[in-house]
Amino acid sequence: MAVTRERLTRALAPKVVAVIGDKKASGYNWLRSMKEFDGPVYSVQVDENEIPGIEELGIPNYKSLTDIPDQVDFAVCAVPRQVAPFIVQGCVEANVGGVTLFTSGFAETGEDIGVELQDKIFEIADPSGLALIGPNCMGLHVPGLGVRFNRDQPAGVQGNIGFVSQSGTHGMNFSLTGAAHGLYCSTLVSFGNGIILEAADYLEYLADDPQTEVIGMYIEGARDGQRLFKTLREVAAKKPVVIWKGGQTEGGGRAIRSHTASLASDQAIWEAMIKQVGAVAVHNLDEMIDVVKATLLTKRTQGNRLGLIAMTGGQSVVLTDAFEKAGWKVPTLSDESYAQLAEFFNIIGGSYRNPLDAAGTIGQDPKHLDTIFDILNADENIDAVGMELSATFMARRWQDKPEEFDRLIGSLKKFMAESDKPFLAALHPSHVEEAALTARMRLQEEGIATFPSFERAANALRKASELAAV
Amino acid sequence: MTDVIAAARAANRTILSEVEAKQMLAEAGINVTETRLATSIDEAAAHAAELGYPVALKVVSDKITHKTDVGGVELGVADEEALRAACQRIHERVIAAVPDAQAQGVSVQPMAEPGAEVILGITQDQQFGPVLMFGLGGVFVEVLKDVAFRIVPLEPRDAAEMIREIQGFPLLEGFRGQPAANLEAIESMLLQLSEFAEANPEVAELDLNPVFARPDGAIAVDARILLTSES
Repeated sequence: MAVTRERLTRALAPKVVAVIGDKKASGYNWLRSMKEFDGPVYSVQVDENEIPGIEELGIPNYKSLTDIPDQVDFAVCAVPRQVAPFIVQGCVEANVGGVTLFTSGFAETGEDIGVELQDKIFEIADPSGLALIGPNCMGLHVPGLGVRFNRDQPAGVQGNIGFVSQSGTHGMNFSLTGAAHGLYCSTLVSFGNGIILEAADYLEYLADDPQTEVIGMYIEGARDGQRLFKTLREVAAKKPVVIWKGGQTEGGGRAIRSHTASLASDQAIWEAMIKQVGAVAVHNLDEMIDVVKATLLTKRTQGNRLGLIAMTGGQSVVLTDAFEKAGWKVPTLSDESYAQLAEFFNIIGGSYRNPLDAAGTIGQDPKHLDTIFDILNADENIDAVGMELSATFMARRWQDKPEEFDRLIGSLKKFMAESDKPFLAALHPSHVEEAALTARMRLQEEGIATFPSFERAANALRKASELAAV
Repeated sequence: MTDVIAAARAANRTILSEVEAKQMLAEAGINVTETRLATSIDEAAAHAAELGYPVALKVVSDKITHKTDVGGVELGVADEEALRAACQRIHERVIAAVPDAQAQGVSVQPMAEPGAEVILGITQDQQFGPVLMFGLGGVFVEVLKDVAFRIVPLEPRDAAEMIREIQGFPLLEGFRGQPAANLEAIESMLLQLSEFAEANPEVAELDLNPVFARPDGAIAVDARILLTSES
């Protein structure tokens, strides 16, 4: 029986939560992670030795799910694998919306006992319509509701990124590292073995979820590849989808007689599939974060011509190289722009051909930066603007004279508000990392798309543009 | 169409001969050079007279997949005298290279007017099912692996995009005075192959290599089909 959307919504946007089998040895991780949950949290634990510790946390404990005086929407199950089928049976009887099976040791082990137990769980859950997440997964993270599986994950903040992960680690890392970049999830699901609900089910949910603006996915393989393909085609037509495919699937060792089969590597097929559905492929967590960030924080352009502002001659050269290598053009500006720039630009130790080597000019009068932005905004040869923010030269100064940094931020935000052209900034790590970090956090809070290298900025903007072209 | 597969299954074969593969493809409306099996030199001469010279001759044997490597191919055979000599040469070379070839005969087909050589193919992916490939023929596919894939079923946009995705695409647009290939004809052939793959799940692998992509259309001059190991 298929899991209904109503049942799935109960599970993924719960009002009442239960944690089954949490214990001291794991530091009551699950119960503690639910501390910020926006609703009642119950514990189910039969072990008398564990119950006092749970009650000390202020969480009511029951011996059975059916004893809980509330209708549980979402349960986390962290019991040993032999017990898991009984818990799933209990969830069915208590009409729980959905359950995450953190428990592992099933088909992923390749052991007969693991496969048998997994089959048993499937047989119990499938006819009931229970929204079963996992097993062998971290489950659900909804910061807006305070649903977490790790205590460092954010709570009380409404995010806009839907994330689907076959791996618990990569799902967790996206939520944690993403938050450090100012990126928050609407709903994140780590689905592990995915025996009832698989990637396609979560993608369909996120496609319809009004909070979700962009979808990221980490995946290693699909049980039903054709379903995933068709679902992605529909979902990517509605929202930007960024896919990180991990690992290589074995070809099965069959004899290959044709050129076609010999060239059809797993990676080639996945990359083709991702392109075909209108999603973009990324290859690591950093790139996932970059592309999601560019998708959310920069405007879209059909064009590919960059106006670039750098702080030194050397940086203006490599800034240009980075963008051109990623497929962008750094063209000459219009005659009108050059006429305007000639009136005030300091060409001793600077230049304004494009890229603009502008530190001296801006240093002379910070208002010049606004004028440069106005010129680039009006220039018909330019579709997007990138800027080097030099931590090496500026971060300590920004720390000493915060009003200068405020003024810079004001200029960037003014351009972003007035122009339809995408804007992004690069702030490299430097020798004054503490000061740079403060600056980076502030830029992030202000919603300014900032990247730790020119290459990452150029790649992120290109992939975000590819998504928009779908 | 199933007759060809049924015959191969009955003979416990998973590799179709070029003649069988082209028969299947032609029945699906895919443009291939008409290719006939001749089991004697006289029959080859009769086919050639009907199809029109010049012709190409290729050995037909279950034991041989790479016909050129064993000297099993003669191209541009101009007339009957040349055909008789060419059949003899093929016979001698194949016997020398593969003593147990047990050749069924030769295939006879008219020489197609050349064009840019491209490869179109089908393979089965474990996760996604049938997959199509497109690339330029020869070294481009074999050495540079300059190919594009799409999952079946293809939409018209997919066919258009995969042709333009390969690095060597400018060569199809008429590079240095070469005539431009008819891209619409290649796109149609890709869409036909997508339907062919859906209709024939027993086709495990297929190469149309080469397909001549000319200004006036596209035609497959060689075809190889491998069936799944179980029906």
